[in-house]
Amino acid sequence: MNPRISQPILAASLALAGLAFVAPSFADETCNSPYTTKLIKGQEDFVYVWTLGVEGLGDGHDKLVTIDVNPKSKQYGKVIASHSVGERGEAHHMGFTDDRRFLWAGGLDTSKIYIFDIARNSAKPKLIKTIANMGDKTGYVGPHTFYAMPGRMLVGALSNTKDHGGVTGMAMYNNKGDFIAKYDMPTDNGGDGYGYDIGINPGKNVLLTSSFTGWNNYMMDLGKLIKDGEAMKRFGNTMAVWDLKSMKAKKVLSVPGAPLEIRWSLKPGDNWAVTASALTSKIHLIKQDDKGEWQAKEVATIGDPAKIPLPVDISITADGKGLWVNTFMDGKTRYFDLSNPEAPTQTFEKVTGKQVNMVSQSWDGKRVYITSSLLANWDKKGEDNEQVVRAFNWDGKDLTMAFEVDFNKEKLGRAHHMKFGTKSLRTAFDEIDGEKVAVINDAQTLK
Amino acid sequence: MDPRLRGDDTLGWQAVLAFVVLTFFSSIAASQGTDPLKSLGFTPPKPGTYQLQHIMPVPEGTVLDVDGAEKSLQHFTRDKITLLSFIYTSCADPDGCPMAYQTFDDLKKHIVAKPEFTDKIRFVSLSFDPLRDTPEMMQHYGGSHVRDKQGVQWFFLTTPSPAALEPLVDGFGQDVQIVVDKETGRMSQELSHVLKVFLIDAQGDVREIYTTSFLLPQVVMNDIETLLMEQ
Repeated sequence: MNPRISQPILAASLALAGLAFVAPSFADETCNSPYTTKLIKGQEDFVYVWTLGVEGLGDGHDKLVTIDVNPKSKQYGKVIASHSVGERGEAHHMGFTDDRRFLWAGGLDTSKIYIFDIARNSAKPKLIKTIANMGDKTGYVGPHTFYAMPGRMLVGALSNTKDHGGVTGMAMYNNKGDFIAKYDMPTDNGGDGYGYDIGINPGKNVLLTSSFTGWNNYMMDLGKLIKDGEAMKRFGNTMAVWDLKSMKAKKVLSVPGAPLEIRWSLKPGDNWAVTASALTSKIHLIKQDDKGEWQAKEVATIGDPAKIPLPVDISITADGKGLWVNTFMDGKTRYFDLSNPEAPTQTFEKVTGKQVNMVSQSWDGKRVYITSSLLANWDKKGEDNEQVVRAFNWDGKDLTMAFEVDFNKEKLGRAHHMKFGTKSLRTAFDEIDGEKVAVINDAQTLK
Repeated sequence: MDPRLRGDDTLGWQAVLAFVVLTFFSSIAASQGTDPLKSLGFTPPKPGTYQLQHIMPVPEGTVLDVDGAEKSLQHFTRDKITLLSFIYTSCADPDGCPMAYQTFDDLKKHIVAKPEFTDKIRFVSLSFDPLRDTPEMMQHYGGSHVRDKQGVQWFFLTTPSPAALEPLVDGFGQDVQIVVDKETGRMSQELSHVLKVFLIDAQGDVREIYTTSFLLPQVVMNDIETLLMEQ
């Protein structure tokens, strides 16, 4: 070190030298809102699993389960915490607030929204608030997608209070859980009014939504649903392109067969997204044409659509060049090469369970986690109804299982959505013995 | 001794750090031309054609101005359109405090060309490191903006104590987290935060929140004009 350079100036110089390589944090690990920060780019410590309660299994209630996933930990692969919410309400998806202090989780049946604090003790999330009046405030049912915006949470719903069909919308809350506004899905210009996922590209001022089905269908037994021709017509076939700033739908795209998760490419400069349609088993690309108009087009087929493999979740790699696809019916985890997003090519597949649903990967792509449950009434029956979280290592050629947690054996329930946690951050303001304090270091607090 | 508790010698190096970082950002802006408000990759909706929601009320609390005078935060968040950002003067994250400073600086220059707006808008930079960011430190940080009576007023505030800061941080939903060494479990001296800029209407309601990663001066200016058209 040059003795003439003082440490503070050196620090400033290093910061400035790094500027050329710093890009806006348009990324996740790998399926969060672009506004979600504090991304875990190294080893994740925890996987939070939003778990559906099963009558007669444990307490039978929905719960947030925390699994230690750091190989260096003595509790690696073990459940280290479980926070029951006291009822069974079709636990489904979760989402971080933009500052990653809070994890919001929803119940598709009860329409309740649970807010967990994961900043004070990330190993043991704590339920701090329950929002139980979304239906009264918005007319929407089934809070599904929790998508962070600056200081706010945008909640994509699946259904409505009037007929429990698929016409729905999005509800906006501030990070404290106070209701701000509602936005109906478009029902004109080709819109079917259905909702599911949300995907924002701030650099283009664009918000995309996809479409699934209403409460009447997602709460129906799957075997019965498939035989009900009229009910099977009530699935979304559209995506909507919204002006993000004005929150107005500008265009409806035709995407047949229930387009579900939306993943924008995380590579800086890319301005395209992909989705997978559950019923038609297709990958669709959403991007602007030469005239700047947003278009959707089918670019790949997942498995044999005639066998209805039912793609239920996708996970894009950090470089935007790969896509994991889980197909529920055949229990396969598939990998598509996305180097050319106009023509994705499947390069790998493996049966990872008797039924598989969500798939999440680490930032570096070396670890892949899967869960088993789709919906309480859509899961397989009998011995095929395995309920697990499985962790795999990916070397670019094969998935090798690292550990498994059997949610039936542990009497936890049906494992659905996953989010990663880290123990490398803790809130600077805490409440100790009822008094609010600023934490300075391990030994000191300031009042 | 924890450097955050130390009162000596911090002003010098922090002032140097702030000066270096802010000067660097100013030079970037200068090299990109005189109007940074043109650098959008899309056409935003025109001011007044959209609605900014009422996100939350501004919290109440006590702050210190650069002269060390105690005042209510409301004194700086009512009766005008306010852009408020939490900062700490030793922050060197290029996507953090310096970005907010630069954006405020860009907007201030832009508003010079719109004198009808000048007395209807104010900027506030509020420290969330009261132990190191004394009123004197904030005055150094603000530089010539502190006493500038010509353009948009820009206030550089801090708080008397962490206890006085806490309700403001909590009320705005501005997170402050401490980086912890995963191996040892010990807390470092590094603060982690998602730096936000709050757009506040004349009645004291937060109407838009920007993170610095997506802090686009043209969009901010449109939002300000949208709020002014409500009046």
